[in-house]
Amino acid sequence: MLETLLFLLVVLPILGGAACLVVPSRYLRGAVIVGTCALTAAASLSLLGYGPFSGTPETVFLIPVRGLITLLDFVLLGVILFYAFSLKNRLIQLLFGFQIVALAFFEMFMAKHTAAPTFFADTLSIVMVLVISIVGSLICIYGIPYMQAHEEHLHLAKTRQPRFFLFLVGFLGAMNGLVLADDITFVYFFFEITTFCSFMLIGHDQTEIAIKNATRALLLNGVGGVAFLLGMIWANSVTGSLSIQEIIAAGPAAKGLLFAVALICLAGFTKAAQLPFQSWLLGAMVAPTPVSALLHSSTMVKAGVFLVLRFSPAFAGTFLGTAIAVCGAFTFVATAALAVSQSNAKKILAYSTISNLGLMIACAGLGTPQAITAGVLLLVFHAVSKGLLFCCVGHIEQHIHSRDIEDMRGLSVTMPRAALITIIGLVTMMMPPFGVLLSKWMAIEAAADNLFVIVMLAVGSALTVLIYARWGGNMMSAPYKAQPQKAPMPLLVGLPLMAMAGGAVLLSLAAPVLYTRLVLPLVKSAPYDVAAGTLTNPVGSFLVYPLFILLGFGFFMALRAVLKSKATVLPPYFGGANLPDSTGFKGPLGAPVPYQGGNYYLTGVFGEDKLTMWINVGAGMLLAMMMGGAL
Amino acid sequence: MTAIILGIIGILLAPVLGGLIAGLDRKVTARMQSRFGPPILQPFYDVFKLFGKEPAIVNVWQVFCAYVYVASAAISVGLLFAGGDLLLLFFVQAVGAVFLVFGALAAPSPYSQVGAHRELLQILAYEPLIILVFVGFYLATGSFKVADILAHNQPLLLQMPLLFLVLGYALTIKLRKSPFDLSTSHHGHQELVKGVLIEYSGPYLALVEVAHWYETVLVLGLCALFWHTSIFGMAILLAVTYFAEVLLDNVTARMTWRWMLGYVWGIGLAMSAVNLVWISFKGA
Repeated sequence: MLETLLFLLVVLPILGGAACLVVPSRYLRGAVIVGTCALTAAASLSLLGYGPFSGTPETVFLIPVRGLITLLDFVLLGVILFYAFSLKNRLIQLLFGFQIVALAFFEMFMAKHTAAPTFFADTLSIVMVLVISIVGSLICIYGIPYMQAHEEHLHLAKTRQPRFFLFLVGFLGAMNGLVLADDITFVYFFFEITTFCSFMLIGHDQTEIAIKNATRALLLNGVGGVAFLLGMIWANSVTGSLSIQEIIAAGPAAKGLLFAVALICLAGFTKAAQLPFQSWLLGAMVAPTPVSALLHSSTMVKAGVFLVLRFSPAFAGTFLGTAIAVCGAFTFVATAALAVSQSNAKKILAYSTISNLGLMIACAGLGTPQAITAGVLLLVFHAVSKGLLFCCVGHIEQHIHSRDIEDMRGLSVTMPRAALITIIGLVTMMMPPFGVLLSKWMAIEAAADNLFVIVMLAVGSALTVLIYARWGGNMMSAPYKAQPQKAPMPLLVGLPLMAMAGGAVLLSLAAPVLYTRLVLPLVKSAPYDVAAGTLTNPVGSFLVYPLFILLGFGFFMALRAVLKSKATVLPPYFGGANLPDSTGFKGPLGAPVPYQGGNYYLTGVFGEDKLTMWINVGAGMLLAMMMGGAL
Repeated sequence: MTAIILGIIGILLAPVLGGLIAGLDRKVTARMQSRFGPPILQPFYDVFKLFGKEPAIVNVWQVFCAYVYVASAAISVGLLFAGGDLLLLFFVQAVGAVFLVFGALAAPSPYSQVGAHRELLQILAYEPLIILVFVGFYLATGSFKVADILAHNQPLLLQMPLLFLVLGYALTIKLRKSPFDLSTSHHGHQELVKGVLIEYSGPYLALVEVAHWYETVLVLGLCALFWHTSIFGMAILLAVTYFAEVLLDNVTARMTWRWMLGYVWGIGLAMSAVNLVWISFKGA
């Protein structure tokens, strides 16, 4: 049973991706993708039923697992090195060349294997598997019609979709492997696959900018790879074990182990695009939208957060923990500030993703049961809402050929369904009673004892509201007396969108259950009591069910008022004589002045050119504090 | 059960209180300007009249937004009276604040758009300050819950004077008093006309007005927590605070958002930080 589950979760998506390469027609390819995704998602649900486990699968297709992974590790590094040479990038050659040499040296002379199981899942791994396999699968399915339209738009002579879906669907398998493996060399292997897949996916369109940004992603994640490898070697030489559980059990007390853990967290920082490594994630926005959605909501970046959360017991109560919390909180506030100046929807989402990841990492750094709960819940809720928003932007972009929020004015008339779903996504990202805000509430209350962190969280959360509120308002606006139109939405786009929108709402409602079932087993003492759908502790209380009922009633009454409204639609006030159709007013000498709207972006204060350098310098200093503090 | 009843009482009582405060505000303001001023009950007359008007809108989202605004303002006041979590009730209040902006952004009117953006900047200015005030309550009393704060045995003003001033800033911005009446102001004779409120009219404007009363009661309720040990102290504190607000409103001119953000964040965050250090290092 266990081996079958592991096979379905890790190997099957990779095989399904490979099958996309060989199937002849696009309908067959679609069927393969849907089938693989459905099976993976079903396997993740049955893993939920199966519960936590640890085990050592010996063989896959009669090949010993450990040997296979070690072999593939070198093959993979070799392939990346090949790309590094074809890109003629000396730095990447050095980074990956070093990794091959160091890994070979490690495997031959240093690695001490213990009898510890190679795979291990607690509820944190299960949460991750569910997020990857369900949200990730929905995004892959959304990718089928998206890529069709994308290639029609590009007028490609020969479809490049087989290659695209190989990496996209295969990514799910690599991520599941990463979160389920306990042998740190296995984790390293899966970590490198995600680096490689993201490189291939970001560069998919083969434009000059795509190749440049893919190269940058490879470079920064290569730095992460080196940090991980060094951390792994260091940890192994201190504890004599390759098992992550045994390394964590050695705890902060083991001499010298803290620095190894800091190196692994640094690798997590690069994956999670924390400052000052954010540029690869921003660059990754050139990729087709399903890639952005997959990499930045449910997979890639969450691997970084997962690593830091996984190792959090190993630095709990140390200065390293505090330093990680400060770094994360700084990323949270700084990238939220950068997002204020953006009008490009994907870039807004990119910055807000980094920001939320920063909050999760801050929670992992604080390390109290309350903070860990906040971090894990935020990870789940953020994945669903952010995946949804990315997919919405992709769908909207294919219709209006722009991803600028200024161009999304009037969408509630031109694309009513897509606009409504996007607004639901935005609301679930920033308002109670929904899960993202629940986690943010927990995080703020958990951070209240750390003055540095709490000030940054307070400012950051206000900035977040500004970013999303502006965008939501733009979606609602409509020209005077515009008649709602019907915009086409393919089934395979509509289904994932509605599933994620529904999921974001229902999961928030299920937050108390999610907490008791999946988060509680992870923490030493229960941070909250659950009664009548309310999370309570001596410090605070969050009324999940009561708020759902009260606010739900408010929303219902509002909706009823809208439906029953007999209000006359009057032209807006322009402070002068309106034009006959009220699209503007009569200016001097009766010349028509059309209505125009524009958002405040406050570029004089929050502009990228104003802030980025200072923020990077600040983040560099904090990183130095984190690494130096771990010595 | 008591909490639920208290919450319901709060929801019922707050609009009455809020309306009376608005009436007093107008009266005192008028006297400061050597006018006689309207009757104290004038705000109620205004709102009743608005409710009776024919509904008119520019965009149907405005109807939805006005209702959500008043609902969330009422729920947040209910939570305050029921002794709920400060952060939570503030976030619930924020739902309404954002929906008010949503409604204004939905209308294709330049005044409404600019007003909405300025309102967002006002939210941006006061939100971190209020969160830090709550952190002060937590550090001083060990809890974010109003019920637990009320059980504390000495007035918090003694420990948190700077945070009280910070809350004063937030109150001024929230009540849209000068110098922070950027998004809209009491009278329409200015460059933004009625800014964020301009396209709300008739019954929907009445709802927005009632929601604003709720918000006034909410923020004054937060102020009252600084001297919760005696009703008398509470009343004096609130009267002095509100009088100071009205005075400030009448002696200052409106400033720009840049000034607001720089000044409020600069001084407000510094005062919060100092007061938080004060509480946490001195020990509660």
